[in-house]
Amino acid sequence: MKKHMKKIILLLAAISMLAGLLIGCGNQKQATSDRKTFIVGFDAEFPPYGYKDDDGEYIGFDLDLAEEVCNRNGWTLKKQPIDWDSKDMELKTGAIDCIWNGFTINGRESGYTWSKAYIDNSQVVIVRSDSDIKKLSDLKDKVMVVQADSSALAAFTGGDATDENKDLYNSFKDFQQVSDYNSAFMNLEAGSVDAICMDYGVAKFQVEQRGDDFVMLDERVSSEQYGIGFKLGNTELRDQVQDALDKMEEDGTFAKIAKEWGLEDSICLGEKGTDSAYLQDYDESAHQSMITKVAEIIQQLSKGMLASLAIFVLTLIFSLPLGLLICTIRRSKFKLLEIIAKIYISIMRGTPLMLQLLVVFFGPYYVFHVSVSAGFRFYAVIIGFSMNYAAYFAEIFRAGIEGIPKGQYEAADVLGYTRTQTFWKIIFPQMVKHVLPPVTNEIITLVKDTSLAFALAYTEMFTLAKQVAAAQASIMPLFVAGIFYYVFNFIVAFIMGSLEKKLAYYE
Amino acid sequence: MKLLEISHLKKSFGDLEVLRDISMDVSEGEVVAILGPSGSGKSTFLRCATMLETMDAGSMKYVGESAVTDTNGKAVYADKGTLHKLKNTFGLVFQNFNLFPHYNVMKNITDAPISVQKRNKSEVEAEAKELLAKVGLEGKEDYYPCQLSGGQQQRVAIARALAMNPKMIFFDEPTSALDPEITAGVLKVLRQLAEEKMTMIIVTHEINFARKVADRVVFMDEGVIVEQGRPEDVIDHPKNERTKAFLQKMA
Repeated sequence: MKKHMKKIILLLAAISMLAGLLIGCGNQKQATSDRKTFIVGFDAEFPPYGYKDDDGEYIGFDLDLAEEVCNRNGWTLKKQPIDWDSKDMELKTGAIDCIWNGFTINGRESGYTWSKAYIDNSQVVIVRSDSDIKKLSDLKDKVMVVQADSSALAAFTGGDATDENKDLYNSFKDFQQVSDYNSAFMNLEAGSVDAICMDYGVAKFQVEQRGDDFVMLDERVSSEQYGIGFKLGNTELRDQVQDALDKMEEDGTFAKIAKEWGLEDSICLGEKGTDSAYLQDYDESAHQSMITKVAEIIQQLSKGMLASLAIFVLTLIFSLPLGLLICTIRRSKFKLLEIIAKIYISIMRGTPLMLQLLVVFFGPYYVFHVSVSAGFRFYAVIIGFSMNYAAYFAEIFRAGIEGIPKGQYEAADVLGYTRTQTFWKIIFPQMVKHVLPPVTNEIITLVKDTSLAFALAYTEMFTLAKQVAAAQASIMPLFVAGIFYYVFNFIVAFIMGSLEKKLAYYE
Repeated sequence: MKLLEISHLKKSFGDLEVLRDISMDVSEGEVVAILGPSGSGKSTFLRCATMLETMDAGSMKYVGESAVTDTNGKAVYADKGTLHKLKNTFGLVFQNFNLFPHYNVMKNITDAPISVQKRNKSEVEAEAKELLAKVGLEGKEDYYPCQLSGGQQQRVAIARALAMNPKMIFFDEPTSALDPEITAGVLKVLRQLAEEKMTMIIVTHEINFARKVADRVVFMDEGVIVEQGRPEDVIDHPKNERTKAFLQKMA
């Protein structure tokens, strides 16, 4: 009992330290008056607003505008590509000064201090050219994909979603989220989804780039406006940027840049009704109590926790025996089998798990031209994880088996045990004891690696935490996620520790 | 009756010829002690005789049945089933015991009779208790090897070999991994087995023990049997110069 007390105290201390660290980060204020640089945060996969060109340069309409604003204010522009899900953290911590990246105001009015809207955009639907979907109502019982935390997502599920869009959403067979448009198009091409919903400007660009395989539906899902988002309350910087923009609008520079990017049809700066978000007041009283907030987050994350747990448990169930099998093949007397196992282990350990997951999921389409169903996503995650971890386990098992003295085999041989009996009765139990510490290491890594399932858009805990964090513009969900992983691993370490103690009866 | 018949056994490791041409018969109830300097090939001989190493040439029979036949100067082993059956006729006690560390004393002794010989569990366990009493370890059934001294572990190993009811037992330097003060217990057990007419082939450095217990002493050097005969002849009145030199060094 006393020993357990000590462990619990340790756990609480670790959690509170983590909490202090995270909350401490959130409260930093930053002076902006003698500004020299202007850091624009953007998602580098959002052409034509901000993206990486073939030469590896970050270019785009928004970045050109930012450059011009910087020239007029005497600042140096710093282009900071960000992970879209982490944009609020980037902004809150001052790592970036603003989000300027085809950033939709609608639905986010109270989350940021906004510039005036400068682009009007709509949400459109892209399907394969050979698809029988011709209008929005054809989307019934189809699989729709959107980018996580995108305007398209908000148009269907956000608080301001129209009733028509909600009905449309409910008629889908499945509604998925991916982290970038490239994987959305890969999914569409592979047949695991039927349609993508995205911004008009992006859609126009993507369809032009990708050729005749995709078409845009004429009917639109919604229309919306883009603005520049600043940290809530940072009106000083916002006003400086807005002044420059207004002047650019007056002298025609703004229209000129828009024309360069083919966006002249979408611009709306200076038009009526573009400044409602710009004019709103910053209201600090709209804060919920901490406990309600955390409870709400845990509830939102619970589905992801179960998903992470499922990946963890299933991966262990499959990878441990598979690892033993690969270990046996690796130790085979037949040179060819040994070499095959060696190559397998070398590839599995030598390439990123995330890439292996993509290969498992998209491989069947690109190799055999079979379309992959959406339901395959989860299986692909489990197959990918199991194959990868089996390679590591195989090597751990091998070291464990080779560490057992030759005399054990000889004693078993003289006593007449068969090879199978020798392995399962004499060698295997001793190997288990030898490999427990390194296996514990791998298992703890696996707990954290479950978050890599996001590569296949499988919504496990961490992906969900990032989505919730983005939606609430708060780091609290990530903090809760951190505690989840820590507690999870704490339990794993405890169980493995007890197992080790249980096997300590012999040396 | 002959329990073991080995003739013209040859064994090399690469270019190194370890056993040149060794022939040896062992009769039922006989105790044979094999002496010789290190590197003389006596351990390799024992490992070939117990089939832990394969011989290059020569033939071998257990209880009159062929395990290895010599075909044109090459050793040819019998089929798996025959070998498995013949392995059951002998036991081997190792220099460093090789007990199974994850099994307690009882299981170390009883597991092979139960799972290899498919004998009745309670019968085997009753027999194991008698064997433990015989080797002076009554009441140690539940101990694990790591809780026992080297001498005790070696006596468990002897009990483990006996539990298989072998016709003969090979001992590979059974006391050389032990401190001198605890070898006595192990030697006492061996002497007792000799009195019971257990057939034993013992590789050893204990000259006095060999003299007292063995019916026949075999002196090996450089892969051949240099001299053999009754202990009082070979140990007390050696004819060969190499035997003399070895015995002088050991004295």
